[in-house]
This record gives sequence, structure tokens and C-alpha cells, in this order.
Amino acid sequence: MTVAWILRRARRPSASQRRVLLAAAGSFLVLGLVGGATVLGLRATRGWIGTVGQRVHVIAFLQDEMEPGQATQLTDLLRRRPGVAHVRLVEPSEALARLRDAARPSPAKGSWLDDLDPGYFPRSIEVALAPSTDLPQRAAELSGRLRGLAGVAEVDAMTSGVARLAAWVRFGQRVGWAVVLAASIVALSFLVGTLVRGRESRRRQAQVLLTLGETAGNIRLPANIALAAAGLAGALAALVVLHFAWPALLAAVEGTLGIAPTPGGFFLGCWESTVGLSAAPMLGWVLGYLSTPVSGWVDA
Amino acid sequence: MIWLEGVSYLRAGSPALEDVTLGVSCGELVVVQGPTGSGKSSLLAVAAGARAPDAGAVWIAEHNIAGLQASSLPYVRRNIGYLPPEPLLIPDETVLENIMLALAVRGEPIDTAEADARETLAMVADSAWEGRLAQSLSTGQQRLVALARALVGPPPLVVVDEPASGMGGDDREGIARALVWARDRGCAVLCATSDPSFAQILEDAGGKRIHLEGGRLAGGPAIGLVPTPVGLAGEGASEDAESDEGIRLSDRRSSSEESS
Repeated sequence: MTVAWILRRARRPSASQRRVLLAAAGSFLVLGLVGGATVLGLRATRGWIGTVGQRVHVIAFLQDEMEPGQATQLTDLLRRRPGVAHVRLVEPSEALARLRDAARPSPAKGSWLDDLDPGYFPRSIEVALAPSTDLPQRAAELSGRLRGLAGVAEVDAMTSGVARLAAWVRFGQRVGWAVVLAASIVALSFLVGTLVRGRESRRRQAQVLLTLGETAGNIRLPANIALAAAGLAGALAALVVLHFAWPALLAAVEGTLGIAPTPGGFFLGCWESTVGLSAAPMLGWVLGYLSTPVSGWVDA
Repeated sequence: MIWLEGVSYLRAGSPALEDVTLGVSCGELVVVQGPTGSGKSSLLAVAAGARAPDAGAVWIAEHNIAGLQASSLPYVRRNIGYLPPEPLLIPDETVLENIMLALAVRGEPIDTAEADARETLAMVADSAWEGRLAQSLSTGQQRLVALARALVGPPPLVVVDEPASGMGGDDREGIARALVWARDRGCAVLCATSDPSFAQILEDAGGKRIHLEGGRLAGGPAIGLVPTPVGLAGEGASEDAESDEGIRLSDRRSSSEESS
């Protein structure tokens, strides 16, 4: 069979083959959505942990007796410590200004805040740690060290909130992986089931072509091409759906959880898209090969 | 064209063919007549390269196909128009597509194949069927379509098993005419039938009738058409019996032109 004939047969599938190809393209679409959403979801959750982690500080409240020079020296020492993202010395006047800012929506509190003097507030050092999964432990360790220093009155590790969030994210990731696994199994089972159901029809077709003198390779080729095309179509459709639907979905989830919008990370990268668009046709080709039974002798 | 030499074949452990020697030359029509279970279908399946004999040789254009690797068999089969006992059609493809498949396998251009398929369908059956799905046809109609596919081209060797089974008078005569048409175009035609009257029609049209009983040819082990496989080269095998694509059989058109 020439290339023209093979392409003609691949382009003009019978009614039953069309159903198989549609089902295959649908399965590849689901697989593509699951795969793409997994990559994007993992990226988003990593972003959430990172974003929240950057906001959480270990706050060391300094004693009044500590000289400003000593406070600056301590700040510099902390800045050089590994795993510390940034350190900031907060003067009493800034602490009061923050409190006033925070209380501004409540006019009733405004009157007594106006009478406050910066001298009531201690000088403090805010430490932000580099984001990582063991952030709560590292924050607790740093807090312990700061408590032992002379001139430090109190330390607030603020670890419980981060730990809770990290636990929820880990739980969410586990649930997500379970959903991914289940969806992949369902989509693959549907795809394989569809091909198995059509196996008898393809076996008969292969038997006819074998009797007519077609080679095993050419008998399989139209199915290989058609299923590879179905794989490519499914993967492309998944890419388009993710491109348009993912930002809205992510925004909705972040809005529900009260998390600040993730900067970037809405779309799959070039490399990820290329991998998906290559893997799906290859899988289709392999399935096309496996689903067309051909033997040497006609009745072998 | 084809020479079966001492062929034996076991079906489910018991002998279906025993030491059968038979030859069919280009431009010759041989009718194998025998009752049901006499081994006709086994004989034709072996001759068409669909089944491997358990003993003996099947020479087609100087090649013993019994000794070929499975990967080489398609290049032999595509030059044989084979109608098996059950008409093997692709049910959800049209009649025309089913007939064109034989030419597709031989690598004919699509437009030529379409024209040839239409012509053969009109000769063997009814051209109005061309757009119908094969599964919508009756068993008899499917046999006629499968016969048209075996004859389209036509190929150098035509092997048809019970082509007139269950057919009425007009259809039987039409089938006989089609087989004679193929023979007259230089094809070697091997036909099996259990119907003595159909065998008589073919014999009256110049065919040679032989009888097969219990897996053996009646009246001797061989039809003395061609004494050795070597003689086949002069009968039909072309000089380019082997090409880069594989094994090719003789060009029945040039053979026919030479004989005329």
C-alpha cells in the first residue's frame, strides 16, 4: 500500500473507528488536563507556601536598655545567618504608626491611639526566613537562640500559622495526587477499554488485509497514525482548555482560601507543553500498534 | 503459474489433504469438484498462501512459498485473487472500498483503482451497490463482492472457493462468465465447487475438471499440466520475478497479449 493509500485510509475511518478515535481523543484530553493541572497545581501550591513563608517573621522584642548601635549590630549578625531572607529593625515610632494604620478603619479606637507615645513600644527586629518545607522548625530554632541573647526581652516565633498552612497544603497535595491518580486510571481504562472493544473489528480488518497481501506494518499503520493524531488532538485541546480556564480556576481557589494571587505560573512552559504534545501522539502510536492484532499466516 | 507438489495438510490433527500434486498454467481454468469435507477449501487455502502445508511444496512463479518467511508472504498473496469460503469483507466499509482494497495493496493509483473496481463490480454484481456498506448486503451479495475483489485487476492467479454457493441461475452464469473473463486475460484460475452443475458450466466453457475425494485427487496424483516447477518460468513467470519490493508474479496482461 502506498503512502497515499495509507493516508487515505487513516483519513477516512469507518463509523465504528470514528467512535473509537473520538473516545481516544477524549481520553487523551482528560489525561492532558490531569497532567497539565498537576504541573500547574504543584507550581501554585509551592508559590502559596513561598508567599506565606515570606510574610512570616520571627519577631524579637528588644529591652529598652539595649543601645541602638547594639540593635543594629544584632540585625547585621542575623542578616548574615544562613536561611535568613531579610532582617529589619523596627523602631518604636514605626511600630506605633503600624498600629494606627491597622486601627484606622475603626474610628472609635482612633482617639486613645492618638494619645499614645512611641516610648510605650519596644524596639524590635523582624526576621523573614527563606521559604522551605521545614520553615516552622527553623523559625522555632532561631527563636530559641534569640531568647538566649542578652538584651532580648521576648521572641514571637509565629510558627503555628505557617505550620497549619503547610499541613493543609500537604494534605491538599495528597488529595490532589489521589485525584490525579484516579483520573488517570479512569481515563486510561476508558481508552484501553475502547480499544479492546474495537479489537475484534480491527482483527477482522487485519485478516482481510492479510488475505489480500498487505504487510503487517502497513496493516497497523493507519491505526497508528489515526491514534497518534487523536493523541495530538486531545493534548492540544487540553492545552487550550488549561490556557483559558486555569487562571480563573486558580483565582477562585485563592479567593476561597484567602491567599494573595500567585504572580505568574498560569501557563505551562514551552518545555512542558512540548513534552505533553510529544508524549500523547507517541502513546497513541503505541496503542494503535498494540490494538491491531496481525499474524503471518492468515489462519495462524 | 502454480504448482502444488505432494502437498499434505492436517486439519485439527486429521489429514485434509494427502500427497496432492496439481498445476494450473496462465490462461487456464481448473475446477476442483468434490463433496463437502473432501479438502477443497484446504487445497485452495494452501494454493492461495493463506495456510502453510504440512508437507510438500507450493511453487508460484518459481518460488516455493511453503519455504518463505512469514514476512515475505504478503508479496506473494497480493498477486493472488483469493475468495475464501466465507467472504472476508470489512463490514463497515462500502462495497467499492472493499473491492479497491485489493488494488490498494498492490499499490495501484487511487483513481485507477476506483475505475477498475467499478468496472469489475458492474461485471460480477451490480454497480448500484458500490456505495452500500458491506454489512448491509446479504450473504450471497457479499460473496459476489468478495469475488469482484478477487478478480479486480485481475491478478495473475485467481483462487476461488465455492463462488456460486447459494446463487441462482443467472448469478451462476454471471460468475462463470467472470471466471472465463479472467482466464481469457491470462490469469491462472483455480476454482473449487461441490456443485456438479456449476462445474459442468465451467467445463463447457473450456475449464478442466478434476475430482477431490477424501483429500486425494481422483484418477491419479497429478494433473499433467506442467511436469516440473522449472517449466513455470516459461509459462507465466516474468524475468523480474523478484524486485526490490519483494516477490512479484508474472504480468498477466503481457502474457495474455503474447498468447493472442
